[in-house]
Amino acid sequence: MTRLLIHLRRYSVYRGLTDLYARSPLARVLIVSIVPLLWILGTTAAPLTQMVLVSFHESFPVREGETVHWTLANYASFLERPLYLTAFVRSFVFATVVTFLTLLVVFPIAYYIAKVAPRSRRTRLLLLVVAPFWVSEIIRSFAWIVMLANRGAVNSFLSFIGMPGTPVELLYNNVSLTIGIIYLTSLYMLLPLYAALEKIDDNVLEAAANLGAPGWQRFLRIVLPLSRDGVVAGCSLVFLLVIGLYAMPQLLGGPGNTLFATTIGQIFAKAGASWPQGSAFSIILTGTALAYVGLFVAIFQRRGRGRA
Amino acid sequence: MKLRNLALPGLFWLFVAYLFLPLFVMAAMGFRDSNFVAFPIHSWTTKWYSEVLLDRDVMEALWLSARVAIFSTVLSVAVGLPIAFAVARTSGIARGLLIALILLPAFLPVVVSAISLRIFIGRIGLETGTAAIAFGHAVGSVPFVVIMVLTRLNTMGRNMADAARNLGADDVIILVRIVLPYLSPALLGAFMFCLLLSFEDFVRSFFLGGFEQTFPVLLFARLRFGFDPGLAAISTLVLIATTGFGLYAERFVRKRSLRSESSLTSGAKND
Repeated sequence: MTRLLIHLRRYSVYRGLTDLYARSPLARVLIVSIVPLLWILGTTAAPLTQMVLVSFHESFPVREGETVHWTLANYASFLERPLYLTAFVRSFVFATVVTFLTLLVVFPIAYYIAKVAPRSRRTRLLLLVVAPFWVSEIIRSFAWIVMLANRGAVNSFLSFIGMPGTPVELLYNNVSLTIGIIYLTSLYMLLPLYAALEKIDDNVLEAAANLGAPGWQRFLRIVLPLSRDGVVAGCSLVFLLVIGLYAMPQLLGGPGNTLFATTIGQIFAKAGASWPQGSAFSIILTGTALAYVGLFVAIFQRRGRGRA
Repeated sequence: MKLRNLALPGLFWLFVAYLFLPLFVMAAMGFRDSNFVAFPIHSWTTKWYSEVLLDRDVMEALWLSARVAIFSTVLSVAVGLPIAFAVARTSGIARGLLIALILLPAFLPVVVSAISLRIFIGRIGLETGTAAIAFGHAVGSVPFVVIMVLTRLNTMGRNMADAARNLGADDVIILVRIVLPYLSPALLGAFMFCLLLSFEDFVRSFFLGGFEQTFPVLLFARLRFGFDPGLAAISTLVLIATTGFGLYAERFVRKRSLRSESSLTSGAKND
């Protein structure tokens, strides 16, 4: 490869190009920025712009020879049926609760790996909890169906130890969905938390202990404030992930507790899909979710700065 | 006091059990000698594991997933690498803006990202299908490629490149002989991570595939239809394959990254 390049150097086109790159700042800027600009345009800017435009269409696709009728009706339809508003509010409440539960479950795990376990075993322990996340959402949902079904593993175990009243209805409700979602998202909480906790200097904790601070005080006044960035990042990631879940709520949740992303998906997936309505709903969901997370991040970062 | 010392390791191993138990139970279900999923298992069979390998739909879906994964991975790395270079060269507000725009797809709800791509692809006159799925998966994985390459790029000093320039190397030769070899562990890692990400992606495949079904889409469709031990068998096989691949990739990249580190610090004499 290098030899080929050295060979190529003798030719004036190559030299012209590298000279141009080396001498002209404008050429350098153009060459460097062309890929990012095209990619952002083709994957984010244009698709989102199209979606915004479509959300104001009366119908889509527009038939040949017809002109576009602009309307706000798609946004208005969000408020017309209580079904949509309920699913929307439920999504936000549910995602908030699940995010908090994930934090509660994962924090001790991350703390154990980052601070308590012997340093030499950290990578191996981390790998142990990361490995199951190489499995797809659908397979993991299926694994929980096998666990929680009426004749699944848990019920079979319960009746084996002589629990009366088995089988218990474990599947297709908020609890089964929560268990499945924590199973799906805990890695996204674990990695930022681990990164933040690992940075805390052991000497600080030791000094606090020497000065007589009991465990809970060390936790509340040192560990928690110093891991704030990890908590904020992990919670934001998990929340955005949960708010966008499409498949798992259909597989593990009940028919009565649909989430808004599933509603949007179904508007598109069904026959006679209403693209404008789905687009409008997508924009409502995205805008609200990003604003919600942005507010959360802003509040916690300001509070942290005020203290420092 | 002793009890307290046991609490954290206890919680940790409980969490590990929570992560692994469902997967083992699912694998066991694949050995049930019956047409439906239920416990306890009275008689065991390996027929589901062999039968599923002869299922044409399943094999076609797996093959499609594999092709899509390769296409989208090549695209992601080919695009992610120059983007990482561009980000590394900017600074200040431009850098923040660029990073925000590149990471945005990773923070949008996946359904929304998939649907906006579906609208866009239709708008510019392209069809759903293999190419569309591969493009969609690349949209999802490029942010990760950029982050991985950028992290590695940030640890690279300017000395090597400057020394090479003083010795008469031009930009292209510096890129090929110094920068790319230094980045190779990150690139390999990104490559393997993209393959896994693409193979798992359900939502984008579902909305961009049209009539083509990748493996997760096929599995989803069949699960809604009803489940049988055959699904547990194929899921287990795929699980073993992806986890094995992930473990192998992780080791491979870590070893390479250590080796390239030591070769740089000790000076690459015998090259």
